[in-house]
Amino acid sequence: MLKNITIKNKKLLTALVFIVPTIAYLIFMQGYPLLNAFFTSLTDKTIGIEGHFIWFRNYVELAKDPIFWKTVSNSFVFTISAIIFKLFFGMIMAIVLNQKLALVDLWRALLFLPWTISTIVTVLMFGFMYSSTGGIFNTILMGAKVITEPIAWLSTPAMAMISVILVNVWRGTPFFGISILSGLQTIPTEQYEAAVLDGANDIQKFLYITIPSILNVILLVTVVSTIWTLNDFQIIWVLTRGGPVNATQVFSTLTYNYAFVNLYLAKGIAVSVASVPIIFSLIFLVTRLIFEPNDKS
Amino acid sequence: MRRKNHIYKFITYCLLAVFLLTALFPIYWMLITSFKPLGDIYTLNPTFWPKPFSLSGYQYLLKNTKYISWLINSTLVSLISALITGIFSIPAAYGLARLNFKGRKLLANIILLAYLLPQTLLFIPIYIMVTKFGLSRSIWGLLLVYPSTTIPYATWMLISYFKSINSEFDDAAFVDGCSRFQALIKVIIPLSAPGIVSTLIMSYTMCWGEYLFALVILSGNTKTLPLGLSGMLFGDVARWNAIMGGAIIATLPVIIIYIFASKYIVSGLSLGGLKG
Repeated sequence: MLKNITIKNKKLLTALVFIVPTIAYLIFMQGYPLLNAFFTSLTDKTIGIEGHFIWFRNYVELAKDPIFWKTVSNSFVFTISAIIFKLFFGMIMAIVLNQKLALVDLWRALLFLPWTISTIVTVLMFGFMYSSTGGIFNTILMGAKVITEPIAWLSTPAMAMISVILVNVWRGTPFFGISILSGLQTIPTEQYEAAVLDGANDIQKFLYITIPSILNVILLVTVVSTIWTLNDFQIIWVLTRGGPVNATQVFSTLTYNYAFVNLYLAKGIAVSVASVPIIFSLIFLVTRLIFEPNDKS
Repeated sequence: MRRKNHIYKFITYCLLAVFLLTALFPIYWMLITSFKPLGDIYTLNPTFWPKPFSLSGYQYLLKNTKYISWLINSTLVSLISALITGIFSIPAAYGLARLNFKGRKLLANIILLAYLLPQTLLFIPIYIMVTKFGLSRSIWGLLLVYPSTTIPYATWMLISYFKSINSEFDDAAFVDGCSRFQALIKVIIPLSAPGIVSTLIMSYTMCWGEYLFALVILSGNTKTLPLGLSGMLFGDVARWNAIMGGAIIATLPVIIIYIFASKYIVSGLSLGGLKG
C-alpha cells in the first residue's frame, strides 16, 4: 500500500518536472494576459498612463459606435466568404491530388507552397499585383478585354474587401486541400469496389462513401481555419489598414487602430474581448471534434 | 466506360493546371520583378521576363535599407525561439504522451487552447507587460513572447509523434536502468528525430514570418524582416523590385527547408498535426 503510494507520487513528480515549466510559461504568457485583457477593458488605460476603473463604459461606447458594428459585419463577411471559397477550392484540390497522376508528389509540394511562405511575403506580392501602376492583374484583364478601365483593387470599398479575401483564399486553400487529402487517403478502396458491385454510380459513391468518411476532417479544418481567418491581421493591415473608410475594418484591425493609432489601449482591448464569445465557442467546438470518443481516427 | 475515364483524366489535368498556375504565378511574378529595373516596373505594359536583367533592386536593398540587420534579427529571434521551444515542449509532450496521471487530459486541453488562442486577443496585454519589463524596442521582448505561440504548437505536435513510438522502447530503457529523463534523451529523442526536427523547423518559420508582435513591440531601427519589408511599402515611391527581392531572400530559406523536409513538414502543417 505504502509502496504503491510512493510509486504513484514518483510518477506524478516526474510528470510535474516534465510539464510544469511549459504550463507555468503558458500561464504567464497567455493565461495572465487573457485575464488582464478582461480587466483592462474595464478601465480607461491609454499608452503610458495607468487606467481608472470605469466599469463597462468602453463597451457601451462601442455598442453606440457605428464603426464597431460595421467592423462586426465586415469580420463576418470576410471570414465566411474566405472559408467558403477555401473549402470549395480545397476540396477540389484534394480530389485532384487524390487521383493517379504522373508526378503527383511534385504537384502536391508545389500546390502547397502558398501555405508555406510567410504571410508578409504573400501580402507584398499581392500588393504589387494589385498596384495601380504596373499591377499585373489590370494588365492581364485589360489585355484579355475583360475590363476596359483599370480596377482600383484596394481603393474602392467593395473591391478592397474582395481583394483581401482573395489573398486569404490564395494562402489558405492548400491547408484545406492537404488536410482533406489526408482524410481521403484513409478511405479503403474496398469500400468503393463493394459499392460498384452494388451498382452505385460515381455521384452515389461520392455522397455515400467519400463525404461521410471525411466529414470529421472537413468540420475540424473548417472550424480551425475560421478561428485563424477571423483573427487575420497582416493581410488587411498591410494592404488597406482597414480602409477605405472602414470598408475592410475587422476585429483585429479596429483593435490595433484604437490601441496604437488612437493610443487608447483599453478601448482596443474591448474590441478584441467583444470577439471572445465567438472565438471560445469555436475553440470549444475544436476540442469536441478532437476528443470526441466516437471520433474514428 | 473507357471514354468516360479519358474525360475524367482530361478534366483532372485541366484542374491541376489551373491550380498550379494560380499557386505559382504570383511567386514567379515576385521573382522576375526582383530582377527588373525600377523603370520597367512603373509601366502599363509589364514584361513577363526581365529585359534587361537588373540587380538594382538587390543593390538598393543592401545599400539603402538595413536589410542585413533585419535578416540578422530575424535569424537570431527565430533560432533562439525554436531552441527555447524545443527545451520546453519536448519534455512536456513526452510527459503528456507517456505518463498516466490525474489531470493529463485537462493539461492536454490547455495546450490545445493555448495553441488555438489567437494572438489578436493577447497582443495588447502582452505589449503592456513587455513594456513594464523594459523589454520593448528590443528583440529580447520578442524572445519572451514568440515561444508563447510556438511552444503550444510544438507540444501538441510532439504528443502525437511520441504516441506513435511503441512504449516498449521506454520499457527496454528502464530495464537497462535508465530514468524517465534518460529514456527520453537516449531513446525517444533519437527515435523521433525527424518529427522533432520538422516541428522545430515549423516553429522557426512561424517566428520568421511573425508580424503583429514585432509591430507593437519593436520600434525605431530594430526591425525583423516582416516589419522592415512592409515598412518599405509606405515610402514615397514603393521600390517594388527591392521589396520583391527582399521577399525572395526571406522566402528562400523556407522553400529550401521545405524541399528537403517536405515529407515530414506536410503532415505537420496539415490537420494531421491537429489530430490528437
